[in-house]
Amino acid sequence: MKTYWDIAGDGGSNIGAQVEAQHTRLRARMAHIRRKIAVVSGKGGVGKSTMTANLAAALAMQGFRIGVLDADVNGPSMGKLLGVRGRSLTMGPDGIVPTEGPMGIKVVSMDLLLPSDETPVTWHGPGQQESFMWRGMMEVNALREFLADTAWGELDLLLADLPPGTDRISHLTGLLPDLAGCLIITVASEVSHLIVKKAVSAVRDAQWAPCLGVVENMGRFICGHCGAAEEMFPGGDTAAMAAAMSIPFLGSVAFDPRLAAASDRGTPFILSHPETPAGEALLRIARTIQKQMEAA
Amino acid sequence: MKFICVLCDTQMKLEETTGQVEGSLSIIFTCPSCAHRTALLTNPWETQLVRALDVKIGGRSGSPEPMGFVRAMLAGGRMGALEGAGDAASPAAEEDSAASAELSAGASTELGTGSRCPFSAVANRAAEMASVSWDPSAERLLERVPEFIRPMARQGIERFAAEHGYPRITEEVIEKVRGSFGL
Repeated sequence: MKTYWDIAGDGGSNIGAQVEAQHTRLRARMAHIRRKIAVVSGKGGVGKSTMTANLAAALAMQGFRIGVLDADVNGPSMGKLLGVRGRSLTMGPDGIVPTEGPMGIKVVSMDLLLPSDETPVTWHGPGQQESFMWRGMMEVNALREFLADTAWGELDLLLADLPPGTDRISHLTGLLPDLAGCLIITVASEVSHLIVKKAVSAVRDAQWAPCLGVVENMGRFICGHCGAAEEMFPGGDTAAMAAAMSIPFLGSVAFDPRLAAASDRGTPFILSHPETPAGEALLRIARTIQKQMEAA
Repeated sequence: MKFICVLCDTQMKLEETTGQVEGSLSIIFTCPSCAHRTALLTNPWETQLVRALDVKIGGRSGSPEPMGFVRAMLAGGRMGALEGAGDAASPAAEEDSAASAELSAGASTELGTGSRCPFSAVANRAAEMASVSWDPSAERLLERVPEFIRPMARQGIERFAAEHGYPRITEEVIEKVRGSFGL
C-alpha cells in the first residue's frame, strides 16, 4: 500500500494551498517594510515594551518611518504606551489602516480590539479548559493577520514587541523569515541575566535570527534632587554578560520616574525629555540601531 | 492528512464537507477508482485545530476578509474596533462567524457591532432561546437560509424577538428582520 509520501496532492482538502496563500499575502505586505526587528526579553517586567515605545519614538525623531506590532497578544500594552488606546482601526481599500501614535508611528495591537481594561483575550472554542491545545495556533494566526492585513505602507522599520520568554520568538520568525534580528532587553539583576542567557542561546541555537544587542533598562537611579547615581540592581553586570555571550552591549537606560509617568500618559518619554540621562541613552541606542539599518 | 482506498491503493478525493454541527465536521472522501466512500467525523477539538489554522477544508469560496480570522474567533471584541467592518461584511466573514458561533455555543463576533462580556452574552442568549419558540411556518422560512449561516441567523432573529418583546418567532417577526439577514 502507498505511504503518505507516495501520494502527491491533498485529495482536494486544499489546506496546504490556503496556508501557502496566507504566506504569499504576508510576504507581499512585508516586502514594503525595509527592516523588521523583534524586541524580546527573557524575563517579564524588565520594561521591554517601554523600551520598544521609546526606541520607536527615538527613531521616528530621526525621520524614520516606524511601525510597531504589539506581538504580545495576551498582554498587549503598546496601545497604552503609544497613546492610541481606545482608537479604532479602519477598513481601508488596501487593508486595515493602523492607528497612528506620536511622530506618525503606526501601531497595531490586540488591545485596540478589546472593550475594557478587564477583558482578557479569549477565543471562541469548544472549551477554554482545553484551549492550551489550540491557543498557540490562534495567536500565531492573529499575528499573521496583524502583519499581513494591515496597510502598513512603506516603512523603514517594524518593531515587534514580543511577550516575555523564548517560546514566542519562533512564532514571529516563522512568520518573518527575513527578521533582521532580536533586540534583547534586560535589567541588571542576576535573575534576569539567567533567563536572558537562555533566550540568547535559544535564538542562537535555533538560528532564528541574529541577536542585535542587549539593552539594559533601569540600570541606575539618579536622584532628582542631588544628582547622585545609585545602582538599581547591584551585582549584575550586563555589559560583561553581553561580552560573555558575544553580543553587542547597546547601552544602559537609567531609571527615571518621569519615564514611568510618561508611559502611563501614553507619551514616549524620549519626546519630552531627550536631554536627561535616560533620554540620551535611548538616543544613543537608537543611533546604533540606525547604523545597523544603514549597514544592512 | 490523506486518505487512501485500501482496496484500490488509490488516493481518495474530497467529496463534501458538512457542518459544523455541535463542533463536528463531516468530511466525505470518495475513491475515484471504485467509488467507495468514507467519512471523517471530527470531534470539537479537532475541528478547532482546523479553525485555528484559518483554513476551510475543500477551500474557501472567496478571498478572506482583512483580519477575518481575528474578527471571527476573538470572543468579546470591542464595539466599533474595526470601523467599516459590518457584522456580515462578506460571505467569507459570515462563513467564519457562523462557524465560530456554532463552535462557541452561542457567543458571537462583536468587533464590528457591539461590546459584551462573553459570559453574559452566553447567559443572555441562553435565556433568550429558552423563552422564544418558533412557528412551524417561521422554521420553514429559516430553512431557506444557507446552512452555514443558519445558526447565526437563528440567533439574530431570536435576539431581535427578545429585544422587541415578541414571545414567539412568527413569519411577521422574520419579515421585520428580513433586510438585516438577507432572507
